Amino acid sequence: MPKRVAIVGIGQTKHEESKGHYMYHETDFEAAKRALDDASLSRGDLDTVIASGWDAIDGRTLSDMHTCMAIGGYLKDSSHAGEDGIMALVYAYLRIASGLFDVALVAGHGHREASIDAVTRVVFDPLFTRPAGRNYIITMAMQANSYMHKHGVSKEQAAKVVVKNRANGARNPYAHLDSPVTLEDVLASAPVAYPLKALDCPPESVGGVALILAAEDVVRRITDKPVWIRGIGWAIESYEMGDKDLAEIPSLAAAAQRAYKMAGIRRPLNELDLAEVHEATSFHELMDYEALGFAKPGQGAKLIDEGTTEMGGKLPVNPSGGSLCANLFGASGLVRAAEAALQLRGDAHGRQVAGASLALAHGLSAPSGAAAPTNCVAILERG
Amino acid sequence: MARRVAIVGVGLTKCSSHRRDVTYPELVHEAVSAALADANLKAKDIDAVVYGSMDPFDGVFALERWNVDACVGAGAANMPFLKLTTGGTTGGSTALGGYYHVTSGMFDVVLTVASQRVGETLEAQLVLNTAIDPIYERWMGGGAITVVANQASSHFHYYGTTEEDLAMVAAKNYACALNNPYAHLQRHLTVEDALKMRMLSWPLRLSDCCPSSDGACAIIFASEERAAKITKTPAWVRGKGQITDNYYIGDRPWFQDWDGLTMLAQRVYKEARINNPLQELDVAELYNAFTIQEIIECEALGFCEPGKGAELVRKGVTDMGGELPVCPSGGTLCTNPIGATGLIRIGEAALQVMGKADKRQVPNVKTALGHVWGAAIGFHVLMILDKEKP
Amino acid sequence: MTQEEEILIMPGAWNLPFRHTAGRFASRFFRELRDNKKIFGVRCPECRRVLLPPRPFCERCFASIDEWVEVGNQGTLELFTICYVPFLGLPPPPIATIMVKLDGADGCLSHILGGIDLSDVDKAPELVKIGMRVEAVWRDERKGEIGDIEYFRPVKSSRRA
Ligand SMILES: [Zn+2]
Repeated sequence: MPKRVAIVGIGQTKHEESKGHYMYHETDFEAAKRALDDASLSRGDLDTVIASGWDAIDGRTLSDMHTCMAIGGYLKDSSHAGEDGIMALVYAYLRIASGLFDVALVAGHGHREASIDAVTRVVFDPLFTRPAGRNYIITMAMQANSYMHKHGVSKEQAAKVVVKNRANGARNPYAHLDSPVTLEDVLASAPVAYPLKALDCPPESVGGVALILAAEDVVRRITDKPVWIRGIGWAIESYEMGDKDLAEIPSLAAAAQRAYKMAGIRRPLNELDLAEVHEATSFHELMDYEALGFAKPGQGAKLIDEGTTEMGGKLPVNPSGGSLCANLFGASGLVRAAEAALQLRGDAHGRQVAGASLALAHGLSAPSGAAAPTNCVAILERG
Repeated sequence: MARRVAIVGVGLTKCSSHRRDVTYPELVHEAVSAALADANLKAKDIDAVVYGSMDPFDGVFALERWNVDACVGAGAANMPFLKLTTGGTTGGSTALGGYYHVTSGMFDVVLTVASQRVGETLEAQLVLNTAIDPIYERWMGGGAITVVANQASSHFHYYGTTEEDLAMVAAKNYACALNNPYAHLQRHLTVEDALKMRMLSWPLRLSDCCPSSDGACAIIFASEERAAKITKTPAWVRGKGQITDNYYIGDRPWFQDWDGLTMLAQRVYKEARINNPLQELDVAELYNAFTIQEIIECEALGFCEPGKGAELVRKGVTDMGGELPVCPSGGTLCTNPIGATGLIRIGEAALQVMGKADKRQVPNVKTALGHVWGAAIGFHVLMILDKEKP
Repeated sequence: MTQEEEILIMPGAWNLPFRHTAGRFASRFFRELRDNKKIFGVRCPECRRVLLPPRPFCERCFASIDEWVEVGNQGTLELFTICYVPFLGLPPPPIATIMVKLDGADGCLSHILGGIDLSDVDKAPELVKIGMRVEAVWRDERKGEIGDIEYFRPVKSSRRA
């Protein structure tokens, strides 16, 4: 039988515009230190560490030479998911569920040392797609447009997501953008790529995040407030954008179905107390509602219209403010898991959902944007 | 104890300096199809995929995205898919990733794929240089060759190893590669030829250094229950692990020894209950990207005392007919599609255990070792495979 | 004989701009090189090793570091190679890349060796030896980067400490 796995330590840095006084791997170091302190563990207690992030974004082939040291990996068994940090959590989960490791630390970071637009352009194949002018945000805009067109979603409805998340982020001490905005602000912000305006898009933030995972046998020796990973699923999608209906996110639907099945969840809207979703843009949060089964296809915007996903609503989504308030490109998904876990421990000061006991964390690992995104869903439960 | 896991299928592509006959997804498809055929499995039998490569040799960032559907249509089927990247150890890390997918109990049959088209870059050393810290060290042009040349000059200084010893290692591997249809360098090389080669970075000559290759490899891992149904010749994982040494090589200037590898070997031998590797292993596929490394690896892995690695080569212990043949495939020295190379080492070790290594088969292999290094000689991966269930 | 199919090659190039953060540790190290021709390491509060290059934490002890220690301009050559082939975008050959353990430091600094004629492939390894004493040669115009030390050169025996 697979071992049960719990989150026993959480560490985040403040996410912000820049951290000029830090070297490259110091964000990972600070987050890892905070997670170890949070769990009252030391480096020696770790059996394995898993780093994450994209080397081409960091400008360092083999970034794990730096980051694995920064998260306590010296002379240990380490690996590096070339993905958003949420996939490092997946890998650490697999290692611990195996019964072969007891304690793992996973970490991720966001830097602003590269042009994400320029780097994510060269993820596209040089023969057919790259010459057609693609990058991360352009493909996401095409997807948003497809969704808007197919289901008659308005820019105002998407803007309401920004208003909700920015209001939440204003109460999150780790958030990068910590001021609320109005509907008018969003609609009047500068156009980026139709239909996306500047405020529909996440910022680029500098920061780090780390989680410590432990096997059931050792959990109670570490903490009396574990957060159990009850279900986890992840899935990738086709690379060819011309082969699929861009108005839906089948990889997220598949990931959610696997996680729900494992956790025994049938009616997520009723059973979950909150969700932290990794919204690529404001439009994507509405698409995420549908793929996650919170709403029927095309009905995602109803949830924002009716206030279902606001703080105080039936299912608060992104109490932290989500990626729209702090976006570590390469670890925003792992931040979602950290925030969901904080909620379940009752430690989400200022942004706490009262009495939360079951939460969903969603991470998006998409160097190629809407082409071949990987989506991961974890169901977390208060221990 | 964790679930038992076996390798049930291996797929290799022909490697060369530039596979101009195929696009990238076609190259990956070639490896994946070969692995499926070897295991007599269909795409629908695969539960999850682990992919390894080292960006950005190929001129495509996150190239696994372009190649996702070449991996049994993983994208169209919305399969679980994980990209791992750890520099030169990427292929080894990918194998470990596949192994842990199965031991977790979540998956029964897992496809691992690793690829690299080093031939698509015009200067591999320039890419390798981007691995070096851009703040303190990148300016001086550090790449694999200069780092490894330090290993050689130290080994010469402390243990008296000579250029002739390196030439013997080269000649042995080139001869083995002639038996391997997938190898990149396929030409006869004598010790005398090797000693006349151009000096690249003292004391390493051209024949002491691996080529840059295009190539891919795929390996299928399966749980105990499924392995028994899939094949009569599984290669069981008997021991495995990775070690991460620190980045600043100035902190560990003892380049004549590779104590990180020694520490990992001790951990993995303990798990596999191996006391005398020279006697108990039947074949080893080492990551000998440079001749000197095969010598140091033999020492660090306990095949001989420190400083005696060259003697093993001189005595023929590691020849095809020797007590412990090392790199019957011709090794990394003759074929190096960087991110795929580690998976090829594990794949070659598996083929030896499965008895499917054709002209490069060592007779009666029961236990085989695969080794991978990477990350400015800081990382290692080991996997021990066995004909018998552990 | 069948005519071979024409296979096309598409040219490509990455020219991706980056701005790498030096942070307070590398910044202070480089400022000392530029302004004072001094080389500083940092001392780990737990294992007490003096580490080069300066860094915010000790990997072994996982302790934060804030103590600065000046190390010598001279040291011992611990490792070397002599590079004879040109690599695109890198300094022209022949160059000797070295690791030098500066006096007072526990780790080595990566740099290059100069002041020696390396052009003869056979003779050069006789001129460069593990264990030899070397010293920093400073540039007159320093910019606050590792290249402010132009290279290390052998210490003349009469000046040996
Ligand atoms: Zn220390």
